Amino acid sequence: MDNDVSNYTVEGRIGEGAHGLVFKARHNPTGREVALKKILIKNLEDGIPVNVMREIKALQLLRCKYIIKLYNMFPRGMSLVLVLEYMSSGLWEMLHHNQQELTLPRVKTYALMLLKGTRYMHAHYVMHRDLKPANLLINHEGILKIADLGLARLYWPEGGRPYSHQVATRWYRAPELLYGARYYTEKVDLWSVGCIIAEMITKQPLFAGESDIEQLAIVLQHLGTPTEETWPKHTELPDFHKITFPDSTPTPWPELLPGVEMDAVNLVKSFIMYDADGRISAKDAVKHQWFVNKPTPATLDDMPKPKPK
Amino acid sequence: MFSTSSQRKFWTFSDESELARLREKHNLNYISKHGAHIDEYQRYNFFLSPDEERLLLKQYELHLKEFCKRFSPPMPKGVVGTAFHYFKRFYLYNSTMDYHPKEILATCVYLACKVEEFNVSIGQFVANIKGDRDKASDIILNNELLLMQQLNYHLTIHNPFRPVEGFLIDIKTRCSLANPERLRSGIDEFLEKVFLTDACLLYAPSQIALAAVLHAASKEQENLDSYVTEMLFRDAGPDKLAILIEAVRKIRSLVKMVESPARERVRVIEKKLDRCRNQENNPDSEIYKRRMRELLDEDDMPHVSSNRMSLDTSGVTQVLSPSAS
Repeated sequence: MDNDVSNYTVEGRIGEGAHGLVFKARHNPTGREVALKKILIKNLEDGIPVNVMREIKALQLLRCKYIIKLYNMFPRGMSLVLVLEYMSSGLWEMLHHNQQELTLPRVKTYALMLLKGTRYMHAHYVMHRDLKPANLLINHEGILKIADLGLARLYWPEGGRPYSHQVATRWYRAPELLYGARYYTEKVDLWSVGCIIAEMITKQPLFAGESDIEQLAIVLQHLGTPTEETWPKHTELPDFHKITFPDSTPTPWPELLPGVEMDAVNLVKSFIMYDADGRISAKDAVKHQWFVNKPTPATLDDMPKPKPK
Repeated sequence: MFSTSSQRKFWTFSDESELARLREKHNLNYISKHGAHIDEYQRYNFFLSPDEERLLLKQYELHLKEFCKRFSPPMPKGVVGTAFHYFKRFYLYNSTMDYHPKEILATCVYLACKVEEFNVSIGQFVANIKGDRDKASDIILNNELLLMQQLNYHLTIHNPFRPVEGFLIDIKTRCSLANPERLRSGIDEFLEKVFLTDACLLYAPSQIALAAVLHAASKEQENLDSYVTEMLFRDAGPDKLAILIEAVRKIRSLVKMVESPARERVRVIEKKLDRCRNQENNPDSEIYKRRMRELLDEDDMPHVSSNRMSLDTSGVTQVLSPSAS
């Protein structure tokens, strides 16, 4: 029986989630390191949060090397404990504390890992809706995995059901969400992927708005005022008429990504498009020329191996 | 995909006798645990028999259907189907004497609402319940975790509603049947009844969906046999076709046999249940209230030694960028 707390030795606290603490622990029978995410239910008005439900459903469905694994779950008093794969670090830490480790070959490998995880999610009709460096964790072998699927949900390819637009962390949020779209697609994730790849290359967030309005202003200022051609039907979005911005012409990409080689710019450009339908899919992006060009992506042996905390 | 789902792997059973065996086992378990002091020949005078449990659950499945039908705001079909699955799964591994079906019923519907993304607050939910609403919401929230655990955390349910849509689209494009939309009322009626049977524990959602479509067609004096044999199963081989035909026949006969339990019998069973139910799980009992208080206090993870615990939270969740929602 793995689903009892007595099978685990708690070794420390590694974080605090929205609904409770995260502990590092060892699964005694196998010696495997795990993260125990404890969701305290007693103070929650509506019981087990929908986000937790979504995360469980998504993780049970998705079995991919580049997506964090949910091994088990068990109740503990008035809490639910999720037993997750233990990840010693994350892309956020890499970007903020180990920048010098992020060489171009390694960035390419992380980008590929992120794209493969995304490709797998989308093949299973799951959109993550909150991709950002803090949700991309890295294990002791150096493998990057998508985590925190609390906003992930199934979508129907034909569309038809409205979704909440209050998703995705601001800097990585697609412009249709900023304009309050309720009908959107998995392509919101690819906008985020584009932002993350650009950030790994330049070590700077691509669009860092202080508020939702400023976020939109920054995006519009850089990509230029949208037209019916660059962004079909954007004037029909719920919040489009609530705010107007001064007209702007697009900033040339070399200015937006100074010193970045052409193929990298091309890849980022194919994600960072107003028109969601035009954004490249994860499936196509893994085949992009940038991953073929020298320097080639680092092998796993060359990837940083974060030490367990 | 159903073919790789936990529903197929863990919750689709080979036949009705397998279901009966499981239910009987948990009936007997309860009795041997709580009835040591009762003479074996007398035990069914005090405890519910497996048949009585079946009858009681059939009655509660009718309540479940009615509750969902009257629910405000109107509930999508998928929520109802999922709630039925949960309810049936729960009582394959538990006795009604351990957990009263009225409490599990409400919890199943509440959990199904969340899983199917039909977002209602607990307040909105219990507004649909007659009687003491605060108590109802306590019971539901206290049982939610238990229910998830008993379902083995297999929350995703494959219902027959989407396959039905698929068949209708397919029939419209590949079949000469005039106005396939007229099959809808027959389909809905069939699917409503199918959840009062064990079909969803025995057959794939697509088989149930096809049974519904074929039933509705025959009600309209139409025959879709050639669609099944020549279009759907043209390349599948005779074995697969035979399996499907048998499944459809069985599902239709299960639906035909649906009937409401006799009121008088159910009343007697409910009375009996009041006496033989597990008081530890009865929200009105002192022992239950005490257990809940204990659970509330038990909220800390045990750890090897507290000095090894790091208070440093700069771990996975450290974020500089603003977070969603």
